[in-house]
This record gives sequence, C-alpha cells and structure tokens, in this order.
Amino acid sequence: MSEIVLGSGIMQLLISLILVSTFLILGSTRLYSCVRAFGIQSFLLACVAGIVAYSTGKYDIYVVSILTLVIKALVIPYIFIYIIREIKVKREIALYVGISPSLIIGGILVVISYYLIRSINLIELSSFALSASMSMVAIGLFIMISRKKAIMQMLGILVMENGLFLGAISLTYGMPLLVELGIFFDVLIGALIMGIMIFRINRTFESIDTDMLKTLIG
Amino acid sequence: MIEYLLLAPIITSIVCFFTKTRKQVEAVSLTGSVVTLVLGLVLVSQVYLNNIIVSWTNFLFADTLSAFIVLIVSIVGFVASLYSLGYMGHELEKGTMDLRRLRIYYGLFHIFMFTMLLVGVTNNLGLWIAIEMTTLVSALLMILYSKKSSVEAAWKYMIICTVGITFALFGTILTYFAAVKILGESGDALNWTSLVSVADQFNPTIMKIAFVFILIGYGTKAGLAPMHTWLPDAHSEAPTPVSALLSGVLLNCAMYGIIRFYTIATRSTGAAFTSNLLIIFGLLSLGIAVPFILLQEDYKRMLAYSSVEHMGIIAIGIGFGGIFGIFGAILHMFNHAMTKSLMFFGAGNVLQKHDTKEIFHVSGLVKSMPYTGAMFVIGGLAITGSPPFSIFISEFIILAAGFLQGHIIAAILFLLFIIIIFAGFFNNVSKMVFGEPKAGVEKGEVSRWTLGAMAILLVFVIVLGVYIPPSFYRMIMKVVEIVR
Repeated sequence: MSEIVLGSGIMQLLISLILVSTFLILGSTRLYSCVRAFGIQSFLLACVAGIVAYSTGKYDIYVVSILTLVIKALVIPYIFIYIIREIKVKREIALYVGISPSLIIGGILVVISYYLIRSINLIELSSFALSASMSMVAIGLFIMISRKKAIMQMLGILVMENGLFLGAISLTYGMPLLVELGIFFDVLIGALIMGIMIFRINRTFESIDTDMLKTLIG
Repeated sequence: MIEYLLLAPIITSIVCFFTKTRKQVEAVSLTGSVVTLVLGLVLVSQVYLNNIIVSWTNFLFADTLSAFIVLIVSIVGFVASLYSLGYMGHELEKGTMDLRRLRIYYGLFHIFMFTMLLVGVTNNLGLWIAIEMTTLVSALLMILYSKKSSVEAAWKYMIICTVGITFALFGTILTYFAAVKILGESGDALNWTSLVSVADQFNPTIMKIAFVFILIGYGTKAGLAPMHTWLPDAHSEAPTPVSALLSGVLLNCAMYGIIRFYTIATRSTGAAFTSNLLIIFGLLSLGIAVPFILLQEDYKRMLAYSSVEHMGIIAIGIGFGGIFGIFGAILHMFNHAMTKSLMFFGAGNVLQKHDTKEIFHVSGLVKSMPYTGAMFVIGGLAITGSPPFSIFISEFIILAAGFLQGHIIAAILFLLFIIIIFAGFFNNVSKMVFGEPKAGVEKGEVSRWTLGAMAILLVFVIVLGVYIPPSFYRMIMKVVEIVR
C-alpha cells in the first residue's frame, strides 16, 4: 500500500522537487532566497502529506498537512524574516565552504544516502522517499557546519527536521496524531527560542557570526 | 494522580510570574517545590503498591522505572529550589540579578521541573517531545546572565542537543515502524508495556538501526563521549542550581530514554549488540574524562567532566547486564544525582565567595568556609568512589557484574580509569580545600539556605553508603525486572 501511494508519479515529482528545494538552500548566497526555498520545501511537504491523507482517507494526516502548511511554510519563514529585518543581518551568507563545492558535496550526500538505504536490503525500506529523507538530513547537517551565520544553523536544523518528517510519512504515514502534535509544538517553540538566542548573540557579540563562539575549550 | 504531579510545577511557574516582591516569589517557589516533592513521593508510593498507574487514556503512565526517575527529579528539584533561595538571593544582593530576572528564573525553573517529570511519566514514543522540551527550557535558563560565555554555551548546547535529538527522532520513527507492523495502527503501538511484550517479533535489522540512532541521539543529551562536547560548557556556565539539575537529573532523564529503548531493542536484536554498544560508548566516556579531569583548571568544568565519567559508568553498568550490572547502574543513577548536586552546590558557594572558577585561585576552604569546605571534601571523596560512601557501593557492584558476565577487559579498563580519575579529581579538590585561605577572603558562609540544601544531600550520600533501606532495595529490584 505504501508503495502504491508513494510510488505514484505525482509523488515522485513532489519528492524530487523537495530535493531540488534543498539544493536551492545549499546553492544560494542570499538569506532571503534560503528562507524562501525553505518555505517552498515545507509547502511541498504539506502537499505530500495532503496526498497521503487523500489516498488513505485518514483525517489525522489532513491535520498534519494543514499544520505543516501553517507552521513550517508560513510561521517559521516569517520568524526568519523578522529576525533578518530586526537585527539587520548582512544579506549575504558567509561560508566556510564555497557554493560550488557545497553543491558537489550535496550531490555526493544524495548518492551516499541512496546507496545506504539500498544496502540495508529490506524491501520496505528501500523507497525513494526514504533515501530523499536521508539526504535531506545529511544536507541539513552539512548546511549547519559549512555556514558561518547562526541563523543558517537554525535553518539547517529545520531542514533536517523536514527530512525526518518526509521519512516518517513515507514509512508509517506519520506518527500518531498526539505525537505529531507534540513534535510540531516543539519545532515551533524551538524556532522561537533559537530566534531569541540569535537576538541575544547579536546583542552580546554585535554579530551573529559563529566565529565568535569559540572561546570555551578544554 | 500523575496529572496533579504535572500540574503542580506549572501552576507554581505561572504564579511566580505574577509576584511583586522577592519575598513573594521565594515563598511561591518554595511552596511549589514542597508540593511537587510530596506529590512525587505519593506517586512513588502508589506505584510501589500497584506497580503500574495510567491516566489520561494511557497517555500518562508510571511503572517503577518511571517512579524512580520521578523520585530523583522531585528530590533534587526540591533541594535545588531550596539552594536557589540562598544563591539567587545573594546574586540579587550583589546586583548581578534584578527582580524581573529573578521572577523569570523561578518561573523557568518550575517549567524545567515540569518537563523533566514529563520525561518520566510519558507513556510512549512521545518521550522525544518531553526530552526536546527540557533542552528548550534549560537553554533559556542558561542565558539568564547575558555574559558572552553563557550565551556561547547556551547556543552550543541548543544546537548540538537539537541535532542529537533529531537523530533520536529518527530512531523513534523506526521503532514505531517496526511496532506498527506487529501491533497495527491502534493506539497500542504507543505504550511501553505493549511495545515490550511484542518486541521479540520486531525486525532485528530495523531495530539495530533504530537503537544506534537512539543511542547517538539521547546519548548526546546524556553526555556520552564523543557527543559530550556541549556538556562542560553548558554545565559550567549555567547558574549553579541549574547546573546541579542539569548534571544530577537531566542527564539521568536522557539515560532513561536510552534504557527504555534498550529494553525494547534487546528483545529484538539479542543482548550482545546493544550491550556491546553501551560498553563501548561508556568506556569512551570514561577514557575521555580522564585527561580533562587531570589537567582541569576550572572547578565547575571539572565537575562537568566528572558527569561525563559517571554517565559512562551507568552505560557500562547497563551494558554489563545481568541482575548485578543493571542493579548497580540504577543505584548509580540515584547516587550520582545526589552526590553531583552536592558538589555543584559546594562549587556554587565557593564561586560566590571567591568570584573565580579557577582551581588555582581558591585555597583553604576548610578554614574560610568550614561547613562548605567539609561537605565539599566528603562530596569529593564520595564522587570519586571511595568507601564508605554511596557511589563506592554502586561502582563496586558494576565492577563485580563486569567480571561475572565475562567482560574482563572492559572491567579492567573501567577499574583503571576510575582509579586515575580518583587521583586527579581528589588532587584538584585538595588544592582548593586545604592550605591557607587567599588574602582578602573573609571567613564565613554565604547563606544558610545553601548549607541546608547541601546537608540534605549529604544524608543520602552517607546513609546509602552503609545501609540500603529494604523498601528502596525492593524498588530497585522491581526496576531491574523491568529493564532485563
């Protein structure tokens, strides 16, 4: 059943588009474009959840889909834009790894995730959606370590979270509603608190470059 | 019953935000923590009589293992709020805090208590939600002082633990995936009890991957090496009562998550896989703690690394397995919570008196602060595992389990590491405690509240070293039955 829904053409297309949006974040040097790409990615995820809900006829998943749309595609991007505006971050992202190497590494991570999922050698695990989800987790992690701005680390975590959401949908049609609600709550509060911290970092260090945060050692 | 326990800290926290004066906020906080402690003890005794209580259509659940966590949280939480009266009061008098921040501190403190209690009593895979909530609240507590170092520590803590916990979520999803196949998509796939009863039918490959992710994820939160890098920063930069809660209680909460999944995964994959992983991570944590404790210059960081060490010991105990190993590990969770909180409280007193965290700049504590100094020495002896204190008993049981279960090399390494750590740790403590007091340090204690809090913990440290009450023993045996 899982394969019927998630293997359908439209689903494949959506999942590929989600991967493309991940690469948009990886390949952009402007903060606003990154946030926009994240919004698009969350919107596409909501579509995936919507289609799964429609084809399984479960109301729970509709709720999850709508929450994804509201929280991840609207509220969280708004939080980002608010932060960028309020603390007047330079719009360019400082990088530890340049754009072209980043994109190449992103590609390599996708290939590795694909083979990793394949090598587990369980039919039900080897779906396209799960390898896409693994690559998003890996790329999210890579974004966190290769970008200098604290705000990009926050974005990286949220990309990882989106990847796991895709994984959960493709494996089990999501977690039970109560758990799913709790996860949304945590993600939202987490984004808010990270926002507060970024403000605090900006006020204390007069910059949000994580280069400054290297004094506590040993 | 469980919902009252959860409600108490929430109400306390809300009331704290609406108080007007220092007296009021302190009275509210103290009353709230007494109520929480009493309700916690009532819950523990009910679980002791009935074995399992559920409420809220199975969403909340307490068996003896949960009750054990609730016991630790409520005792240390109560003592920490007692300590806060003295410590935070002094900060207020010094002017490093204002009344607004004090209100925020107490408000967040009780929300933090709520999240940790929730970790213990959530019935299901929703454990993840509770553990993530603890990270969020405690990170806010850390940036209470807007010092550069605390902001840095809080950001590292938040980022590293959130990433770690994301991995744990993946492990949770995989476990749920394995469970749904057997249990169907009913609510039953959520309950610990139903998960454990059918865990032997779960697909072992999936459970192996799930356990690795869980161990890395919650292991990050529990401070197991090599994911421990946030821990010394966070624990040394937080306000002292919070450091005690982080080290003594929160690490145990994360360890509780690992133990829960260990019981499920072991039934599916066989004991060898999970045990070996736990022993490897545990030994690594012990090994990494050794040089950092020996060469440490900051006494709060030294205590933090000692927490890494002790979490490693608990992981090793669970990994050795058998009745002895698990009994030792569970007892060690309790002993470590009490002793480490005692040490952090002592360190907090020293910090307020000397305004420095450098070991080198502190000496003669026995003369300048006789009570703190004496309790700090006893705590230092206890935490390094010297007889006749409580930690000696649990470490000895774990060591015996290692030899009994045939993990000879691991047990020898374990012994070697704790001996070196004993020497290094106690060398540093004796530098601080003995000798002549530094010039300019007046004789006298900072506050009576802080001494009272330490004395309560000292009772546990000393008594449990020579005598384990029969009811406490039976409680731990019940926990062992659940974990095995």
